[in-house]
Amino acid sequence: MTDTQCPAPIGFADVVDYWAGDLTQAEEDRIEEHVFTCAECARQLAAAQALARDITSVAREGRLHSVVTDAILNRLAADGVRIRTYTLEGSGVVPCAVWADDDLVVSRIRADFEGADSVTIVTRQASGDEIARVSDIALRPGQREILNAFSAAHLRNLPATRVHVTVTGQTGSEERIIAEYTLEHAGAFDRLASRG
Amino acid sequence: MASPGTAPAEESELYRRFAPRVRLYGLKHLRDEAAADDLVQQVLLVAIERLRAGEVQNPDEIGSFILGTSRMLADSTGRKARRRERLTAQFHVPELYAEPVAESGDIEIVERCLHRLAERDRRLLVLTFYVEKTSPEIARELGVTGTVVRVARHRALERLRECVRLRQGFGGQVGREGTKR
Repeated sequence: MTDTQCPAPIGFADVVDYWAGDLTQAEEDRIEEHVFTCAECARQLAAAQALARDITSVAREGRLHSVVTDAILNRLAADGVRIRTYTLEGSGVVPCAVWADDDLVVSRIRADFEGADSVTIVTRQASGDEIARVSDIALRPGQREILNAFSAAHLRNLPATRVHVTVTGQTGSEERIIAEYTLEHAGAFDRLASRG
Repeated sequence: MASPGTAPAEESELYRRFAPRVRLYGLKHLRDEAAADDLVQQVLLVAIERLRAGEVQNPDEIGSFILGTSRMLADSTGRKARRRERLTAQFHVPELYAEPVAESGDIEIVERCLHRLAERDRRLLVLTFYVEKTSPEIARELGVTGTVVRVARHRALERLRECVRLRQGFGGQVGREGTKR
């Protein structure tokens, strides 16, 4: 039972694959046998586990400001995260607001992204101040929708304002605007207070 | 009371060294914090009992012995949990949900560092560790190969770890790419 320096440390890639469940049974067994005899590699595994746990906490607490997927939204909903969704498609102004019991607000941005290697989404207030920018969003072939998530806690700090969303596509070194949308943000509301 | 060959100090040392490893094993295989904590208690009790009885003589064997016990008890716990899940589904008993233990200091830093990563890396980590998707599933979702997912994932987690380590050293001050504050 001595804590000596490991002569053959497990690589971080293997530690991550182990924690993610992407190894064969034999590979898993090998890592477990090593970790139970090596304090240094046990610490490495504990560090990866702690990060994985904290990523889970950030997501579960609705603190993601990012592009998400339906799989992520389904898991969040199963965990009790309250999600408000607005669909941005075509022209026209979309009315929106954030409520006291919302955890996450998601824009479903629908457009023809054909030909773009990646896209950037910039969300601005009418004043021009940026609310959020997500760059270099990778696209699947045929993808027609991007889900952009905002922490509701952050949006509650916004004043009532018109909000502009610009989607720019990158193809090689060229950039072009793919779509622009407008939302009329009415501010933050509390259902109970509004009844009184 | 300690007997043949073991003293309380050695038992404490055994606990200090192996409890975190058994807990990690439990988290990996049981996917439940409370069950992992229970596993630690059960495994270490068995280990101390065997040590006191003089059944484990070679100190180099203790790690293997504890791993073997962890596997056996986790397997039994897993079977019970699966049975409980089947019964819950059958009789529509609602699952009780326990709030995760808050570690706000680190979560703040991890949140900021997570939002400094490239968008695809962030999505990859969330899909892996929160949604618990396998690399082939994520590969299909992102339109890349499983190998690309695995390489990108460990690099992204490495970057996240470095960022967190730096921020913990400098009082957690960092900007981020996502939402402006």
